[in-house]
Amino acid sequence: MRLLIVEDDAPLASGLRRMLEAEGYAVDVTGRGEEAVLAASQERFDLVILDIGLPQMDGFEVLRRLRAAEKPMPVLVLTARDAVDDRVRGLDLGADDYMAKPFAMPELTARVRALLRRSQAHGDPRIVHGPLAIDTVARRAFLRGEPLELAAREWAVLEVLLAKVEKIVSKEAIIQAVAGWGDDLSPNAIEVYISRLRSKLEPAGIKIRTVRGFGYMLEEFKES
Amino acid sequence: MAARSLRAHLLRMLLPPIAALLGLGAVIAYYPTIEPATEAYDQSLVDIGIALGSHIRAADVGFRLELPPAVEQVLRADRYDQIYYRVGDPDGQPIAGDLDLPLPAEVAPGLQYYDSKYKDRKVRAVWMPAQCGMAICSVVVAETTVKRTKMAREILLSNVLPEALIALATVLIVWFGVKRGLAPLARLSEEIKERTPADLHALDAGKAPEETRPLIAALNGLLGELAAANRSQQRFLANAAHQLRTPLAGLQAHTELALSLPMTDACRTQVEQVHQATIRTARLANQLLALARAEPGGHTEPQGRLDLKTMVEAVADEWVHRALQRDLDLGFDLQPAGVRGDGFLLREALANLLHNAIEYSPHGARVTVRTGIRDGRPFLEVDDEGPGIPLVERERVLDRFYRVPGTPGTGSGLGLAIVREIASGHGASIAIGDGTGIRGTRVALTFPHGSRPEMDS
Repeated sequence: MRLLIVEDDAPLASGLRRMLEAEGYAVDVTGRGEEAVLAASQERFDLVILDIGLPQMDGFEVLRRLRAAEKPMPVLVLTARDAVDDRVRGLDLGADDYMAKPFAMPELTARVRALLRRSQAHGDPRIVHGPLAIDTVARRAFLRGEPLELAAREWAVLEVLLAKVEKIVSKEAIIQAVAGWGDDLSPNAIEVYISRLRSKLEPAGIKIRTVRGFGYMLEEFKES
Repeated sequence: MAARSLRAHLLRMLLPPIAALLGLGAVIAYYPTIEPATEAYDQSLVDIGIALGSHIRAADVGFRLELPPAVEQVLRADRYDQIYYRVGDPDGQPIAGDLDLPLPAEVAPGLQYYDSKYKDRKVRAVWMPAQCGMAICSVVVAETTVKRTKMAREILLSNVLPEALIALATVLIVWFGVKRGLAPLARLSEEIKERTPADLHALDAGKAPEETRPLIAALNGLLGELAAANRSQQRFLANAAHQLRTPLAGLQAHTELALSLPMTDACRTQVEQVHQATIRTARLANQLLALARAEPGGHTEPQGRLDLKTMVEAVADEWVHRALQRDLDLGFDLQPAGVRGDGFLLREALANLLHNAIEYSPHGARVTVRTGIRDGRPFLEVDDEGPGIPLVERERVLDRFYRVPGTPGTGSGLGLAIVREIASGHGASIAIGDGTGIRGTRVALTFPHGSRPEMDS
């Protein structure tokens, strides 16, 4: 995996580079927006970490040019300004995620992992989550290599959760995703599917956390 | 110092000279009017005197008045006044009529008019010589002053009444004229009153009278300077944010990196300290910046409509993860709650409330965020199961840098002060109460009805 860091603050850039290299990524660093656009046009990066507050060509412009050139790689935006914070949240600038400075490194590396996982999964019918592997085209699931039987709605719920590992999926969002099967679904029905999924997946160490009053979150798989 | 009323001031300045002028006018108009009338009345006294004089006859000794009663009746007849007369012989001794009628102080040849008193009443009298044979007798005719006083009063009244009306008109003109003249200023002050502190655009002079334009221009000058000061504060905050956060991010990255390297325990303890201090500093920098932004004038963005429910949902991920790190059950009870406000600041308020709740709740405790409408007013509240805030401290914890004595941890005491500042900027009230459980704290922000921002409340 190859990452591009676009950050003009040298100590922060070197800290990011060493931290991400320790995670096993190949990392390139530039402090100038123009260079970032050029580098991305000539070489292939799997992910860009982009600071908005760059001298001359700022991060917004870099992002605009990357998207205009139809570069598909995920972009994680770093912001230090409140107003930028608002713009990143409020407008669809084509950033895949953003973090406000200063941030904790483990959180950054977790976001990078999640973004990469999502972009790698894109177009790949196979999703692997710890001991769980599913083939979204063949609609087959395997747990520790054994075929796993899933009812149609259980399958739909699992797919929604797998698409957003470590993110909360609201009950409404699950209902919307599952309601394609026809009749109205109550939030209670969702609880039933979740509890069935849990009883099938938890023995293998896969955890679905309930976020009280909101929804569910498939936790990142940790070997225990 | 008591404010001076422009009206009272104008009236005080206008009324004395007007009253003096009107008084003078009345006096000046009085004499030319009263003189011919007085002359006419005097002349009728003279006529009576002449008639009386023609009835003096020489007697055996001296003179006597031969006046038939019918004639006397005619001569004494008057509608308003009592008429008196006295006929004197050439030596001046009275011979007929009202013998004790007073004479003029000095007797001079010819007609003499004079004012005197008779039978305790004011009288107007005329002394005149009258031919009696070869000698000169004298006749005095006097009358009380009823009709003269009446006439004088009528003349005065006819002069004074219009003048009084003029004075009244002056007062009314000043009263309503000042109100009318100051109406543009009243409109102006209404306009200024309705503004939010963030609204610093220039006032419209519009149809304001010329005299008020310097005031409007001066106000606009001040507003302009305030707006410029605001913009420069905005720039300063944006730059300060950038200049502080970026190196702090770098510092944090390197301390984390250092902690992942092999080192001696003593060394690790030191680096751990530096790392914790870095995190605290970063948080403090963020809080100070938020506080500066939350203050009136710290932000100039127009407040938009937003739903508190959507806002909480958007940041829920981040906070659920933080709560999980401390083994807390962060839950939600979210109903739509539309408010008008600054999204960044409201997220900052929520962040401070959640930070406190997570920081002070014991492991395994529940923290709940609620939004919705209560009694027609949108609210946002956070419940925790921490130690709670004693009743006596609930007001003080909203003060900057204040921490309840004995509180563990390393907070700056700014969190709730920021929340209060943001709440007041949105016209929202902040209430600290007990949590839903046996202990804990609930901090509730309640927004105004219809969620119109009252920035100055």
